[in-house]
Amino acid sequence: MKILVTVKRVEDPEAKIKVKPDGTGIVTEGINYKVNPFDEIAVEEGLRLRDAHGGEVVIVSCGSEASTTEVRSALAMGADRGILVKTDQTLDPDAVARILVKLVEQESPDLVIMGKQAVDDDQNQAGQRFAQYMGWGQATQASKRANLESEDEKARKPGLVISGETVEVTREVDGGLEDVRLKLPALVSADLRLNLPRYASLPGIMKAKKKPFQNLTPEELGVDITPKITAKRFLSPPMRQAGEMVPDVPTLIKKLAEEAKAI
Amino acid sequence: MAEFQCDVRDLKFALLEQARIEKLFDHPRFEELDRDTVEAILDEAYKFARNQMAPMNPIGDREGASFDPATGKVTMPAPFKETYDLYTANGWLGFVHNPDYGGQGMPYSLGMAVNDLFFGGCLSFSLGPLLTTGAAHLIETFGNDELKKIYLENMYTGKWTGTMCLTEAGAGSDVGAVRARARKEGDYYLIEGEKIFISFGEHDLSENIIHAVLARTEGAPKGTRGISLFLVPKTRVNADGTLGEDNDVKCTGIEHKMGIHASPTCTLTFGENGRCKGWLLGEENKGMRAMFQMMNEARIQVGLQGASLANAAYQYSLQYAKERVQGKDILAGKGSPDVTIDRHPDVRQMLLQQKAIGEGTRALLLRTGFFLDMAEVSTDPEEKERYNGLVELLTPIAKGYSTDQGFKATELAIQVLGGYGYLSEYPVEQYMRDMKIASIYEGTNGIQALDLIGRKLPARDGADMKNLIGMMTKSVQPHASHPLLAADVAIFTKARDALVAGATHFAKVGRDRPLSPILNATAFLDLMGSVVVGWLLLEQALIAWPRFEDICRAKNVDALDSKATRGICEEDPDAAYLHDKIKVAQFNARRNLALCPAKAAILQAGDESAMEAML
Ligand SMILES: Cc1cc2nc3c(=O)[nH]c(=O)nc-3n(C[C@H](O)[C@H](O)[C@H](O)COP(=O)(O)OP(=O)(O)OC[C@H]3O[C@@H](n4cnc5c(N)ncnc54)[C@H](O)[C@@H]3O)c2cc1C
Repeated sequence: MKILVTVKRVEDPEAKIKVKPDGTGIVTEGINYKVNPFDEIAVEEGLRLRDAHGGEVVIVSCGSEASTTEVRSALAMGADRGILVKTDQTLDPDAVARILVKLVEQESPDLVIMGKQAVDDDQNQAGQRFAQYMGWGQATQASKRANLESEDEKARKPGLVISGETVEVTREVDGGLEDVRLKLPALVSADLRLNLPRYASLPGIMKAKKKPFQNLTPEELGVDITPKITAKRFLSPPMRQAGEMVPDVPTLIKKLAEEAKAI
Repeated sequence: MAEFQCDVRDLKFALLEQARIEKLFDHPRFEELDRDTVEAILDEAYKFARNQMAPMNPIGDREGASFDPATGKVTMPAPFKETYDLYTANGWLGFVHNPDYGGQGMPYSLGMAVNDLFFGGCLSFSLGPLLTTGAAHLIETFGNDELKKIYLENMYTGKWTGTMCLTEAGAGSDVGAVRARARKEGDYYLIEGEKIFISFGEHDLSENIIHAVLARTEGAPKGTRGISLFLVPKTRVNADGTLGEDNDVKCTGIEHKMGIHASPTCTLTFGENGRCKGWLLGEENKGMRAMFQMMNEARIQVGLQGASLANAAYQYSLQYAKERVQGKDILAGKGSPDVTIDRHPDVRQMLLQQKAIGEGTRALLLRTGFFLDMAEVSTDPEEKERYNGLVELLTPIAKGYSTDQGFKATELAIQVLGGYGYLSEYPVEQYMRDMKIASIYEGTNGIQALDLIGRKLPARDGADMKNLIGMMTKSVQPHASHPLLAADVAIFTKARDALVAGATHFAKVGRDRPLSPILNATAFLDLMGSVVVGWLLLEQALIAWPRFEDICRAKNVDALDSKATRGICEEDPDAAYLHDKIKVAQFNARRNLALCPAKAAILQAGDESAMEAML
């Protein structure tokens, strides 16, 4: 089976993000970038499914030339080939969804796995939009019942169950889990507890460079990426104000009620 | 607060911008490497060190390896086995070793950078792989084809681990006093004797353990000239590679110790029942020579432990100091707000001192690793000899200076944390305890100092020292009128001259007053280490400066205007990094390098009171 997995280049979640003084974006100098953590889980799931059912895992990223690094790190984990849809423009989730539609027309995968959201702008939209355009079934927030310490997890058993023309997915929903079955091809988006992504091995890193890698552009795919959403202004969250010591509990309650209006 | 952190940018800077290991990529052996791949490797190693190794570091410290006297078995703390399996499966163990035998064939310098991360993640764990590759490399160099076929791949892939068995109760620094015996029986020997302090001599990480053992054959000459090297498996290996009979090697205990609790320090009895077979590596009585070939590499790796833990401790204390609020800015008026301790001048000095030690010794180790690579790949015999000579000369410094100073840095990290630093709840006191062993094993630092003045300085009529001095001068001298660093270059020049004066003094008085250089060997190692590390930090600043200038120019700011550049550094972490490369070099020049002339004066003064004291 053919599995297409998306990866996005995002700011290292541990980096200290600063907003540019003019509010047009964040300061990118000196920031480390990484594969979006949810996408790593998606890649891992793709690899497990491939190893169980055969076929190939194709990695797709949309973004600047620099995203080559993130595609390569997915290849280093063991994926088979990579595609970068290169643009220096800011992409909104709808543009990404429409780029994927075109790619899927070319590639005809049986399954597309994405991270449930990217940790940079936390939109949580691209997957849903893509499935909608395709008219596919979608299972967002894919998880599994086996816990991450279990023997199944150690043996790298896939969490998604594919049999014949369908895939069974356990989803995270408010207060519990939900099992769904979808007809293939389908879209699945990965949540945190689906698996523990593997480390890349050294031979994997060395081989990644030699794996097939295709560069495309939105123009070549015929996708208009003019954003439908634009960011007006970026602001830092307000600094935390210094606390105030109150003499006793009654004062505290009074302040909470009257000033903070919290009770 | 995140536990283990490494400034990977600094690692990349020292490797790619300073040592410039890209030179190696032209060589057919490393043609598959490029900058991006090097960065990808370091990023992945950091991920492994942080996510997989670092969480087990305090567990290893608390639980330690445990010994069962009834069975002679050693059990490692629970997470170690899983990590070991992942570590070996991902190809980290044989990182720099021969691909023909299951190694990954990477450059030493890159291997050192990777180990910088792994030692910082968990030193006690990393010693196992280190000893394994050490023993395997001995087999590769001195073993016959059959031994290589049976053992090498299994060791470089980590299926079996290895040890280095030198030390005995009566033979510590004086390896020549080894008493373990070997009796020839056809194509093998029967080994008998007891070794102590053997790291990873017994454990449950791998199915077999291969010991490299120093012993004496019958009738061998006394001292180091009568020592031979043997390969002794814990479990014998059949001709088809499967495991056979037990080989009569028994662990009779492990030590309780100050640090590296999860690295089992074993007493091993060989041939208690007369059934311990060993195979000769190299020739009879040439065991010490074999060991010496290994020593450069092993000693450099131990030096790296100093740099690595110094940096890990520094990173932790730096983060802590930025968060801990205590007291007021000493110059601010009454009623000013409380500040984080990184605002206090004394704390800042401690932080900068740690940074100078950590990043300076890291640069020293990576550069030495690069020289080792150049010595290996270079085809011009003269160049090869030059690089080999530099490695020889720098090895005792890399080992002795980095571990002495590294220990000081970990101690300063505790001091920065104050009372919290003294508590087991915080990681810095473990770094200090784990670190201490590095100045003792692989030849104590006292032995390193003797090696430096007795063997390395006089070698090739002092040509290596001349090369080193020449290299330092060439990189710094052109900057004598540098707009920012001229004064620091001048301090370095004086320090370098002091070093030359010290070395010349030894050469002059050594014949008539042999005690003088010996009494001052450690002082000389310290002097030379200060100069070399001071040079490397200054070189980094000289590399950083034009880049810093470029950033400032792009923002229309005068790079020399420290008030104006402050804003840029606050905005841009790259600018701040380069800026602080300059500051740490200045701090080091003015506070450490500046002491060198006094250090040289001391060793020329000929004080012998230590010898005269009655004690
Ligand atoms: C945790 C740990 C792990 C170890 N792992 C291994 C291992 O895996 N394999 C192995 O073979 N060994 C190992 N060792 C042994 C280690 O290498 C020795 O402890 C070390 O070489 C010093 O020997 P010693 O302890 O007998 O000290 P000594 O030799 O007694 O030295 C004591 C002091 O005297 C000084 N001294 C001794 N001789 C001289 C001299 N000629 N001139 C000047 N000063 C001198 C030393 O510098 C030192 O300060 C380990 C030790 C420890 C503690």
